[in-house]
Amino acid sequence: MTSVAILAEAAGRVGTGEAITFWVLTPVALVGAIGMVWARNAVHSALFLVLTMLSLGVFYVLQAGPFIGMVQIIVYTGAIIMLFLFVLMLVGRDASDSLIETLRGQRTAAIVLGVGFAGLICTMLARGLTSMADKGLGAANKDGNVQGIAALLFTRYVFAFEVTSALLITAAVGAMILAHVEKRKEDKVNQPAMMRRRFAPGNYPGPKPGPGVFATSNSVATPARLPDGTPADRSISPILPVRELTAAEAAPKGTEE
Amino acid sequence: MILTQEALKLPQINYVALSPMLILFGAATVGVLVEAFAGRGRRYPVQLGLSLVSLVAALVMVVRVAHTRELTAGGAVAVDGPALFLEGTLAVLGIVALLLVAERSLEPGGPFVAVAAVTAGTEADRVQAQRRDAGTEVYPLLLFALGGMMLFVSANDLLTMFVALEVFSLPLYLMCGLARRRRLLSQEAALKYFLLGAFASAFFLFGIAMIYGYAGQINFAAIHEAIQSSTNDRILLYLGLALLAIGLLFKAAAVPFHVWTPDVYQGAPTPVTAFMAACTKVAAFGALLRVIYVAFERTAWDLRLVIGGIAVLTMVVGSVLAVTQTDIKRLLAYSSIANAGYLLVGVLAVGGNGNHDGLASSMFYLVAYGFSVVAAFGVVTLVRDADGEATHLSRWAGLGRRSPLYAGLFTFLLLAFAGIPLTSGFTSKFAVFGAALASGQAWLVVLGAITSVILAFPYLRVVVLVWLSEPGENTPTVSIPGALTSAALAIGALATLLLGIAPQPLLDLSSRAAEFVR
Repeated sequence: MTSVAILAEAAGRVGTGEAITFWVLTPVALVGAIGMVWARNAVHSALFLVLTMLSLGVFYVLQAGPFIGMVQIIVYTGAIIMLFLFVLMLVGRDASDSLIETLRGQRTAAIVLGVGFAGLICTMLARGLTSMADKGLGAANKDGNVQGIAALLFTRYVFAFEVTSALLITAAVGAMILAHVEKRKEDKVNQPAMMRRRFAPGNYPGPKPGPGVFATSNSVATPARLPDGTPADRSISPILPVRELTAAEAAPKGTEE
Repeated sequence: MILTQEALKLPQINYVALSPMLILFGAATVGVLVEAFAGRGRRYPVQLGLSLVSLVAALVMVVRVAHTRELTAGGAVAVDGPALFLEGTLAVLGIVALLLVAERSLEPGGPFVAVAAVTAGTEADRVQAQRRDAGTEVYPLLLFALGGMMLFVSANDLLTMFVALEVFSLPLYLMCGLARRRRLLSQEAALKYFLLGAFASAFFLFGIAMIYGYAGQINFAAIHEAIQSSTNDRILLYLGLALLAIGLLFKAAAVPFHVWTPDVYQGAPTPVTAFMAACTKVAAFGALLRVIYVAFERTAWDLRLVIGGIAVLTMVVGSVLAVTQTDIKRLLAYSSIANAGYLLVGVLAVGGNGNHDGLASSMFYLVAYGFSVVAAFGVVTLVRDADGEATHLSRWAGLGRRSPLYAGLFTFLLLAFAGIPLTSGFTSKFAVFGAALASGQAWLVVLGAITSVILAFPYLRVVVLVWLSEPGENTPTVSIPGALTSAALAIGALATLLLGIAPQPLLDLSSRAAEFVR
């Protein structure tokens, strides 16, 4: 019996295993989709998308579409999302997108258009599932779905398929051009150069003093004091604001006898 | 169920007939490997040599297979007269543009940035601006783009055409962003082109889906059959055709899909602009001609009004806006838009009953315009001051006194754009308008003539500015071009002159080639 015949027979019936898998994976897919939109961190967003894509892949396999299921997993989760992650890592993953609307009415427009698009898809699906008969599906699946795709790929579209490699090479080269900064040999600092710089005049070679932690307070933002009582700037990290202590904070705290 | 060899009939691929584009793709791939393995100092000569040799080899192969007329690779690629003619055109114009791209004597390192990934305007960017070398990735990208264009003009089904569209668009987007000077402008141009190009590709793809819905096939011959025999709703056909046309007319820079053109032409490195103005036009119109002649010939009557309207809009908007420009690159961009309009007039001369004058004259126009526009942008690369190219028109005042030779050359090219006799501009416009008249499109010809007169105004304004003003304090110098730019300018100007004086051989060649196989 061909897979088409099996499919035709199975139309309208849902097996127990299928139902269980569906009800288990549907919430997962939905959580992934919602999480992808809600996550503040771009990497988390991408990982949520992986979750959704994987669930979809399982659904396809469940629907007797092994080829599209595998393509979904290999191409989407395996390649595209991983590329996406690579790009995030290359570009830097610090989320700095502002939540202020730069285009006025953008949010409203997005909601209206999104709802409209969802409506369009749902109506189309409903029509397709109820009132339309498939056309040419049997002929296309005559020798099996995967075999049919393979036959087309290796006969009629073999040239387009091969030329796609040029596209992929261009994309890879483009990513390299736009994201990769090659370190030149002159820019690399070796150990002798570093040591020379350390002991060069004008640089204090010893370790920097620690901050004034425990001397007057327990914050690393408190500078250490030089013998004359002035704060030592080198003792705290340059990115920390110098914290001035109030008199009450600076007052010695007596221990209980 | 394992398919046996007998069940699956593998298509015959005529590798010799496909060799021009295969050579380019192969050379581009080798070029990428050169980037990876050759030392930094050795890349430039190797890449330049490789690109030149492969383009010449592609041209030689085009000439050798010139008499092939067949469908190959399972009917996906048509190797016929127009395809080979345009492939040859692309190879020649590609060589001329490559000469401009490879020029390094005008400024140290040439017009391309050394490391494109360095953020523009940072300390590192200022350091690298002093570097005397440049990135050489542009050479394989150029070859990929040319290979994609060759496939684009010879694709025989919509899917192959779409893949080819992407193959040649992607390198173009990248090359636009690689300018050494005014990097932010260049990157903005690249991003604009990329986003709008992606939209256009989406329209094209959507159009393919509609056509498939109508015809059940995406092969041109099958669509041709289906238009006569299909009982499906014709709305699908017209919708698909409209979406398809948007994708193609975007690349051809026809109004109202032209808004990217001035910004991208201005921002991109000038040699890349020259390449786009010449070769992208050839590719876009080659594909448009094929789609209309091979697949949609039977809807030509329905097409005429729409494409005619777009042609009129393109000519009028292009020429009127050219009058208001103050930047030479933007002026040439609007002039290229207006020229897309004249080309559309030629496309519309689709006769149906064996009258392929429209096709022949459009192909002739593409060659003539390509040579002139590459040379014109070549002159633009020469006019420089300390900050790079001086493109503002006011800076060009009095340039004729500074350098009569190049000012004279530029004047000649502008006269060719304006369509003055004894230049290729005249013969090509004459051929296109003649073909349109013969197929009864007199209204288009009248409008074409009127807009030509409008368009002559900005050209003559530049000529007057260059020759009749006194050079001022800040008139830039005209650099002495190196051997490569000199060669490109000489080829472009000679072709413009020759095609104006003795166009007959090329006209004959194009009219002999003007027969699609279906």
